[in-house]
Amino acid sequence: MARYIFSRVGQALLVLWAAFTISFVLLQAMPGDAVLIKFQNPEYGLNAVQIAEIRAAYDADGSVVLQYVHTIGNFLTGDFGYSLQAGVAVSAQLAANLPSTIRLAGLAFAAAALLAVIIAVLSNLPGLGRLRSFIQSLPSLFVSIPTFWLGIMLIQIFSFRLRLVPVINPGEWEGLILPVLTIALPVSAPMAQILLRNIDEVLTRPFVSVARAKGASHTFVLWRHVAKNALLPVLTVAGVLFGELLAGAVITETVFGLNGIGSLAEQAVNFQDVAVLQAIVVISAAAFVTINLAVDLLYPVLDPRLKAKLGGVA
Amino acid sequence: MGLSGKFKAATVIGAVLLSLLSSAAFGEDAAKPTQGGTLIYLEQQPHTNLYPPAGGFYPNGGVLNQITDKLTFQNPKTLEIEPWIAESWTVNDNASEYIFKLRKGVTFSDGSPLDANAVAKNFDTFGLGNKELKQPVSEVINNYDRSEVIDPLTVKFYFKKSSPGFLQGTSVIGSGLVSLATLALPFEQLGDATKIVGSGPFVVESETLGKELSLKVREDYTWGPAKIEHQGRAYLDGIKYVITGEDSVRIGALLSGQADFIRQVQAYDEAQVEGQGYKIYAAPTRGVNNSVVFRPDNPLVADVRVRQALLHGTNAHEIISTLFSANYPQAKSIVASTAQGYVDLSSKLTFDPAKAAKLLDEAGWTPGANGIREKDGLPLVLTAYESPPQPQNKATLQLVSQQWARLGVTLNVLAGDAGSRTVDDLDPAKTPVSPAMVGRADPDVIKSQYYPKNRDVLRQKGGPSDKVKSFVDDKLNGLLEALSSEPNREKRLQIASEVQTYVLDQAYAIPIFEEPQAYAGAPYLQGVDFEAVGRPRFYSTWLAEH
Amino acid sequence: MTILDTAERHRNIDSPNPLDWISPAPAAEEAVGAPAKVRAKPILIQPGLVLAYIILAVALLWAVAPGLFTSYDPVQGLPGQQLKAPSALHFLGTDALGRDLYTRLVYGALHSLSGAVAAVAIGLLVGTALGVIAGSVGGWIDEVIMRLVDVLLSIPVLLLSLSIIILLGFGTVNAAIAVGFTSIASFARLVRSEVVSVRRSEYVEAAFGSGGTFFKVLWRHVLPNSLTSVIAFTALQVGSAILQLSTLGFLGYGAPPPTPEWGLLIAEGRNYIATAWWLTAAPGVVVVLVVLAVNRVSQAIGRAQQ
Repeated sequence: MARYIFSRVGQALLVLWAAFTISFVLLQAMPGDAVLIKFQNPEYGLNAVQIAEIRAAYDADGSVVLQYVHTIGNFLTGDFGYSLQAGVAVSAQLAANLPSTIRLAGLAFAAAALLAVIIAVLSNLPGLGRLRSFIQSLPSLFVSIPTFWLGIMLIQIFSFRLRLVPVINPGEWEGLILPVLTIALPVSAPMAQILLRNIDEVLTRPFVSVARAKGASHTFVLWRHVAKNALLPVLTVAGVLFGELLAGAVITETVFGLNGIGSLAEQAVNFQDVAVLQAIVVISAAAFVTINLAVDLLYPVLDPRLKAKLGGVA
Repeated sequence: MGLSGKFKAATVIGAVLLSLLSSAAFGEDAAKPTQGGTLIYLEQQPHTNLYPPAGGFYPNGGVLNQITDKLTFQNPKTLEIEPWIAESWTVNDNASEYIFKLRKGVTFSDGSPLDANAVAKNFDTFGLGNKELKQPVSEVINNYDRSEVIDPLTVKFYFKKSSPGFLQGTSVIGSGLVSLATLALPFEQLGDATKIVGSGPFVVESETLGKELSLKVREDYTWGPAKIEHQGRAYLDGIKYVITGEDSVRIGALLSGQADFIRQVQAYDEAQVEGQGYKIYAAPTRGVNNSVVFRPDNPLVADVRVRQALLHGTNAHEIISTLFSANYPQAKSIVASTAQGYVDLSSKLTFDPAKAAKLLDEAGWTPGANGIREKDGLPLVLTAYESPPQPQNKATLQLVSQQWARLGVTLNVLAGDAGSRTVDDLDPAKTPVSPAMVGRADPDVIKSQYYPKNRDVLRQKGGPSDKVKSFVDDKLNGLLEALSSEPNREKRLQIASEVQTYVLDQAYAIPIFEEPQAYAGAPYLQGVDFEAVGRPRFYSTWLAEH
Repeated sequence: MTILDTAERHRNIDSPNPLDWISPAPAAEEAVGAPAKVRAKPILIQPGLVLAYIILAVALLWAVAPGLFTSYDPVQGLPGQQLKAPSALHFLGTDALGRDLYTRLVYGALHSLSGAVAAVAIGLLVGTALGVIAGSVGGWIDEVIMRLVDVLLSIPVLLLSLSIIILLGFGTVNAAIAVGFTSIASFARLVRSEVVSVRRSEYVEAAFGSGGTFFKVLWRHVLPNSLTSVIAFTALQVGSAILQLSTLGFLGYGAPPPTPEWGLLIAEGRNYIATAWWLTAAPGVVVVLVVLAVNRVSQAIGRAQQ
């Protein structure tokens, strides 16, 4: 087991380094650079000589290899550098933005899981008739809606027409209702699909017939089963959905005007704010590998069958 | 001292051009102002670096205007320069030495005095830049040499040569005075609003980067511009800026009572805003009009006849009636009719497709097989990047493209990331056509726009681009240099008029409309006013009962 | 990287049944609308399927012969006709330049559908190639490829596609490449896990045993049997590619104007929501319907293969 964990951690670090390197190369290859974008902006009205001086001051035309070594060295010591576009330290930007994105994504993830369970249970309740196929097709509908469009429509309807929730200056939690919903709907779909499949599969198993024969109601069996097994599929998709959550955050934060890593990332790409982008890529890659590592390591704990197997090999 | 003469001219021009703004902003202050309340201001983009000379960017200006004061105050109605932090000033005859007498008792919000030493340090930085701290030179200060502190309340500035625009330059957003502590910070730390310490009526209270900024009133503020009615502290208790990038969210929030004031209202939303009793503030920017400019270094548009043909093939009236409103007057010159030195050249800007076709024929561009004009087998296909900050620029360029298509000329409109756009924009071969505008209430603005060492919109050799092969217009540059260094006001306005005529004769630019900065405010919001270039000032603003 | 690496899972768990539902690695995307393997109930939603085929047929006809559906020009506006509400003359109203929205939707089908198909084709070809190589060759090549796939997955999809577009320049084709690139990892994973499981099956072992060469067995037995779930996944990806392309349009990285691409229509229309809400609502509904139809059809393909 220890060797297994060790090798998994090693692989995770390798992935992290590769993500850093690839993003560095991509950013270097883009046309123009942050210094040019910022200072060539006519709002500054700078002339050629002044721009050349600034470029020299920022060492914008220096050796790429040196920059790479320099940046990676700084990252290892926890120094993320300065955002050229915003004019503040990247660490300050992260401190201002990371918590809100984590909160948004976390709530959205929880809401999505809840929604998935509700859909799975509802669609298996007896006596629904036509409504049942409607509920079962909800996940398909949820993944077919463009996130940004959903967000815009929710704002228009619930905030501006019905005036139920403000989007400007809302209360701390009030303001999260619509954004969380916007991200949660599409994310809930794959979870619901997995749950539905899982329930269908279990209902065909012998022990269900036995339980039924003993007088347990369908609903009782269903709830017991869902309660017991909902965690695994949710965990399964957690790792994969991470990217989706982040993409959802980019869109949602843009539409709702929330601060967060998502909107920060979008700005950083456009202005080629290398320091910011590198930090975001490394953080999200780290989150990705950590979540997946955790899921991998948790699986055997949660599922005894798997534990036995792993114990056998490791 | 030729100053009073200059001011008379300014007053005359200003009086003639009493703008829409003044009636909208000052006409409704009849009720007695009430003190208190926080203004919710929705801004389209987050502010960037708040180094004062970077205040030209509207989101920056909207913040700096509240937290900094300037040496002088440009009356937005008359465009006259009035006392503010400087109580009085003298200028020598060829405008190369300025002496300012400062107001007593002014302090920055960190408690340090705003004295001659502070003013001198501010302008040394703005005029010369600071390489160590990476602070760039201000666009509005030309020919700066050095400062001299004569006594604690008297400061003198020396210029290498005549710099007649400097006095007005001390009143603009880019010349906001900040404390010595702020000036000592490296450039890359000035994006943090809490580090910008000024002497203005509001102080930065807290900031969530890229999202929210809260200002609170400075209770002990007693040094507002001397000639305006309101004195003492600002009426508002505070201002809260919320960054709201989505146009639809800003409008919706205003109309549903979630915000008091918003920037960037597009023309198509005006009817709805006014229909519900809200106010549109279309503050003129008094600068170079929203235009399409050519890069004559590109052989496709090197021939003046081609440029003239495209000028006469552009139907500015159709663009305005389709996309804009009465707040966007059709351009009559390369500068706005509210700008200093403006002359009406609308006779040179006629829409005349027949003339355009004839000019293209004469220039040797004849319709090819697919309807696109060709010369020596080369099709007349031009390219321009849209400029997102300009109102409805993508739609404007698409309409221009449709109009030119009728002449047999293709205009491809590109959207691009900031990097590609910046790089391609420097290369006339890639962007023979470009949208352009700039606002500033001084004739210097024309030089800012066209001079190769400034914005260089035409892309001349010797400008910021190393991609330009040969294009230089010495005549134009000569006129622009004269414009920025002519101390005599009448002569200066005469040169401004010559430049406008020359640029249009050469058809370097196709002016389309006079660009306002469009804001919308709630019906109960009173006393919003704007500096001469359309940035809001909330010093005299108050919230009526609602 | 997700859950247990598929190879390990196959090594560790030989009983396929109890954990069957977690075995295909790209669980999230694959699971959406993927066939319910043990669903025993009769399918109740056939009318929905018919509707889905009709929607797709109409969208395809729009793409192939837009002129049959409308007589307006999708690019040239009518002066003075800007921002008109829906009417008999303009079925879905007009945009800010006086262009008929319905016409732009019809002509946009070509750009949006071909963009999505091209994107998926890129992901399918490159991803399948990588997956097949990794799954059938195994060893360190497998390791290297799968770690690369992990890296691709660890960089947020949206950032990756935005960066690629900036690198390649704006345009319909480049946007398709960017979206396609981001689906390579999912395809590679799915194909690899399929190939691994097929390769371990008895008849493939038997084919090797009866003297088949590596490539012959791969071509004859491994590939065809691995492709079943890949086809359903491919159909599903078309829907997701349409959404991703429209998201790029929303962020300003889509096709340049005046291309009537659907994503761009929603994105541009949203600015007019206070005055002309149909400009963004109508293209939004079209996109939802088409993606829904594609997903439904992909489900049907999946079921048919069972």
